[in-house]
Amino acid sequence: MLYPLFEWHGVGNGMLMAIIATYHILPCHLATGAFWITYVMERKAYQENDEGMLEFIKKYSLLVLIFCFVTGSLTGAGIWYAATLISPRAISGLIHNYVWGWATEWVFFLIEIVTIYTYYYTFGKISRKAHLRIGLIYAMSAWLSMVIITGILGFMLTPGKWSQTGLFFDGFFNPSYWPQLFVRTAFMFVVGGAYAAIVASFMKDPDIKSKAMKVAAKWGLGGLIVGGLFTVWYFTKIPATAKTIIFEDLAFTKTMFEIAIAAGVLLFIYFGIWGFMKSRTAGPIPAIIAMLVLFVGICAGETMREMARRPYLIPGYMYSNQMIAKDMKPKGVKNEVAKFNKEGVLKNYYFAPESVKEIDASNFMAAGRILTKLECISCHTVESTGFFSIPKLMVRFGASSPEEVHDFLDALSDYDYMPPFVGTEKEKRAMAAYIASLVNPNQKADPAWVLGK
Amino acid sequence: MNLAQVLNGLRDPMGVPFYPWFFQVLMVLTFALHIIFVNLAIGGSFMAVYEHYKKGENNKRLSRFLARSSTVNLSAAVVLGVAPLLFVQVVYDPFWYVSNLLSAWWAVGFLCFVTAAFLALYAFYLKRNPESGMKGFGFFGWLTFGLLLLAGFSMHLLSVQFLEPEKWKLWYLSGNIMNTSGTTVYDFRISRYLHFIIPSFAITGVFMMLYGWFFRQRQDMDKEYLHWVAVSGAKMALWATIIQIIIGFWWLFSLPKNLNFTSNAFLWIGVILGVIFFLVLMAAQKDPEKYAVLSALFAFLAVLGMAVSREVLRMVYLGKFNYSIYTYKLNIHWGSTALFLLTFVMGIIVMAYPLTVAWKLGRYGTTSKEGA
Repeated sequence: MLYPLFEWHGVGNGMLMAIIATYHILPCHLATGAFWITYVMERKAYQENDEGMLEFIKKYSLLVLIFCFVTGSLTGAGIWYAATLISPRAISGLIHNYVWGWATEWVFFLIEIVTIYTYYYTFGKISRKAHLRIGLIYAMSAWLSMVIITGILGFMLTPGKWSQTGLFFDGFFNPSYWPQLFVRTAFMFVVGGAYAAIVASFMKDPDIKSKAMKVAAKWGLGGLIVGGLFTVWYFTKIPATAKTIIFEDLAFTKTMFEIAIAAGVLLFIYFGIWGFMKSRTAGPIPAIIAMLVLFVGICAGETMREMARRPYLIPGYMYSNQMIAKDMKPKGVKNEVAKFNKEGVLKNYYFAPESVKEIDASNFMAAGRILTKLECISCHTVESTGFFSIPKLMVRFGASSPEEVHDFLDALSDYDYMPPFVGTEKEKRAMAAYIASLVNPNQKADPAWVLGK
Repeated sequence: MNLAQVLNGLRDPMGVPFYPWFFQVLMVLTFALHIIFVNLAIGGSFMAVYEHYKKGENNKRLSRFLARSSTVNLSAAVVLGVAPLLFVQVVYDPFWYVSNLLSAWWAVGFLCFVTAAFLALYAFYLKRNPESGMKGFGFFGWLTFGLLLLAGFSMHLLSVQFLEPEKWKLWYLSGNIMNTSGTTVYDFRISRYLHFIIPSFAITGVFMMLYGWFFRQRQDMDKEYLHWVAVSGAKMALWATIIQIIIGFWWLFSLPKNLNFTSNAFLWIGVILGVIFFLVLMAAQKDPEKYAVLSALFAFLAVLGMAVSREVLRMVYLGKFNYSIYTYKLNIHWGSTALFLLTFVMGIIVMAYPLTVAWKLGRYGTTSKEGA
């Protein structure tokens, strides 16, 4: 059964996810990476009785506290909200498989929040040993939350044996799980290092600044090198179609890949120069630029991973238009595509107006509009602006008449990243008639053609 | 296709990985905890600004404490809100998703309001020192309070629309056009909304009593000030509870007659717990510090009772459409259930450590043997 639709007119629903999810990447990786760095620094600062460094650590942990626990936790929940509004059936499918995974992750959130507030408010007020221990508990629980969520993220691209068994751990420990966990673990140190560099760049005392910059750069450079190596491993584990989509089918994803690589190189240079050669005079501007570069690089990498999932939202199970593509025998689920192709989508769609359920000469444009929205707007817009605009794409592919659009819809699944059109022949023609009118509003389809007379 | 078929058809075809009653228990319990911290954040931010505008030194001091504690309370509210948000999607997915889709921008708005409230709250907190001249303190405080009320409004409408599946299609369609804009507010109940907001002052009042009780062993704290806070808290909690009881009845009587709450034992338990809480507060007026822990316990029970009533009412509402979470298709998976339960037990044990450290430091001003 399909849900009602929400549409971000002229912008595209994808933008909602892009804004929330890409933003979330910074606080969430910072939350996991930062406290390993502070733990090592704090221990060293105690050994050397270095008050300046302790001041730095306190400032850094306040930044983590505000940034991660305000914007990080809210955008994290925000990803559920965005997914709900774009693809409710997909988030429902994920939650009904992985609810205990998320609930387990939530336990780590609880530990994180208790420890970080205790850590911050007890700074300098309790024994050093106890304070270090609390920092370490935070670091471990934050990293463990990543250990959990990576299982669900990896599943969305490489479901592994889950497709046959439907079992939690078969999907969790999927083929790309370990490489992805190591990549994220390495990059969380890069994010942690880049933030430490920002805080360091605001420190006044050049000795403290230089010391903090060096630590930040060491973690950053180490994370980049190790993360880079694990990325190579990761690419050997993702399916061939995903690689074809990234490197051959879409110019867009290939650019994303290049951007991610370029960002890595720029960060390497940044940490090299300001971490070692200019560590005493490192100012906030290059540090902030480095953070922006890092953000762009991570966005590019995550966008690539998202695109590589197409034409599925849950690989081998649910298409990006939320139709169930294949039987899921162990869970007793039948695919819907065959049923909808035979009976029609509109007849099975409760939220469609009754008047369009039987397509005729008077309602085919309205029916076409509803079908287009139902099957396309999770990724495309029907306007000429926004994410993957349908009229613009049609012009690019040279499909402007109803017949041409119809042929295009027929060949849709020839594109690696596109799900097939789902519905009856009449529904396909109604959709073609509507899409053709988006390309050229004056174009009216012949009702006889639509109705197949 | 009748509505019951539609609602059951919207459920996830893969079913739930454990018994629905278990998710329901977790959902109600975590919701009760969540709403307590929501109440503390709303009541705390309001009282912090209110006390700031009063003349006395004690008022200013209390204002600073409430501003500071609100940051922690709001964080706790957010983290504790994640759990019921997860569990509601497990057993009530059709209702939650449709309600969100119909008013999509309000769902997004909720996130924006809470984020903005949080940032305003930190600005408010960081401006609490008299040395800084406290410029903008009042402004950021009111802003926090207003944004939290707006976030409550958004969550409230999503929860109300949730309960009215018979109206969804009428709302969504006009002729051949589907309203996909997601900007419309379709339903809102003022009595129910107030029933969530007013307790903020009762719960914050109890929090102030606890504050007076918690710090009274400290040598470096002014006893007179602490007593004043506890007395003010007890008074506020009592008045808020009286108003809350009146609103509670207003809301109960505004429910559709056929729901017949008078014969539902669970709803009566909710009402009785509310009244017991009120009686405890009456007794607490004389010696609020002494009754602080007991008041907190009964405040929790009253909130839990209300959370249970809310869930029972929801089941009665949706029962009209033959929807029962207990008929959800099962695909039990013991392994992942065990993963959660074991992690949860481990989490409680681990959290005990930092909480003990924080407790000792707050209560005695030192962590005993280890010293500072």
